[in-house]
Amino acid sequence: MQKRVIILCYRKIIDARSVKQWDKLVFESTYLEFKMQAQNFSHGTAYTSYAELMRNVPNAQRITGMVTPSVTGYVQQLGSIMPDILNNIGRRFLTFSRFQLEIINSDINDKDKHQVAINFYSEPLIWHDTIDNYLLLSVHSPENQSSAENNSISTNLMQLQPYINISSLQYHN
Amino acid sequence: MERKNFLKSLVIGAVSSSVLVEACKKDTDTATTTTTTSGSSSSGSTSGSTDSSSCSVVPTETEGPYPTKSPASYVRSDITDGRTGYKLTVNITIKNSNSSCAALSSALVDIWHCDAEGNYSEYGGSGTQSTNYTTVHFLRGRQTTDSNGLVTFTSIFPGWYTGRATHIHVHVYNSSGTSLKVTQIAFPEGTGTALAAVSGYSKGMSGYTYNASDGVFSDGYTLELATVTGSTTAGFVLAISLSVPA
Repeated sequence: MQKRVIILCYRKIIDARSVKQWDKLVFESTYLEFKMQAQNFSHGTAYTSYAELMRNVPNAQRITGMVTPSVTGYVQQLGSIMPDILNNIGRRFLTFSRFQLEIINSDINDKDKHQVAINFYSEPLIWHDTIDNYLLLSVHSPENQSSAENNSISTNLMQLQPYINISSLQYHN
Repeated sequence: MERKNFLKSLVIGAVSSSVLVEACKKDTDTATTTTTTSGSSSSGSTSGSTDSSSCSVVPTETEGPYPTKSPASYVRSDITDGRTGYKLTVNITIKNSNSSCAALSSALVDIWHCDAEGNYSEYGGSGTQSTNYTTVHFLRGRQTTDSNGLVTFTSIFPGWYTGRATHIHVHVYNSSGTSLKVTQIAFPEGTGTALAAVSGYSKGMSGYTYNASDGVFSDGYTLELATVTGSTTAGFVLAISLSVPA
């Protein structure tokens, strides 16, 4: 039977209204770094917002990559476990190895406008079935092959929810 | 066919930004409630679900580990990251030109320069790729000035690239990250200087742009010119004072 191997992307939004400790630390750290790096581009212009810089200043698209080192330490603290996303018995279960910072909005002079997203990309998962609003998933790795004895593998049920996307799909025989 | 339609509907949902923005507002509003009802401590943890729909289960996990403050990975004194070259210790003293050139403490100082071959580390790039967190930014670093206004970096003597004299970029900020000065450090030239001793590494000095012809330094660079002592065997020490309006 063909296997569907997917990668899930969780887009975690962080802004001034974020309440969790990790989120707040990331908010502070990315804002300081945005402010510092954006001034390399706003220098000599009247632009202060991320949108204005992106529209008007050459190479301003580099800002996101320059701000990324301000979150790497926090991402490492997660220990490769994707935050917030739970299986149906209330445990975090998705692992990730890749992330991508995204600046949604910000302003050198206005911290309240600062809003970023961290996109977490899961390890490859086998999508076995869809039950109601839930995906039945298992890790796609050699260690998680069905054992010859009972022909079973470990799976998780995850509810479809906002900010989760299937970011890639591959068919395996 | 049904599967295709299902996937299609997921994609359509994901690109509808107005829906996302609305959803985000809702989620943030419900986040506090979720945290409260989950019974976890007010400090929060990485295990809470802030933004799933209201009918999703609440987290039921052992609390912690708790996040700790982690500076941007630019913050380090040794910025070598395995780049080969003659050791260079960079001592930069920041002074306040608005305060009788007194030492400026707690200023943030970013420096960056090219490697022996004249290449810079990836810095920003296009920003469109997801990244593995082992990504390095060699020869880039940040330090905070001490009570004497001093920051020290350990690096290698920079190489050079076409069109520019050897230089180190410096960006000085106050403690809250407001830019005070963007400048570059120039190197002394001529017989007996470090620049002559290093002699452009494997590249040599053929085609080198000297300070007098450099697009940045040619309008005068006395205030940007560092003192560089040492040797290729013992390593070099660079010292410069930069006065900035703080």
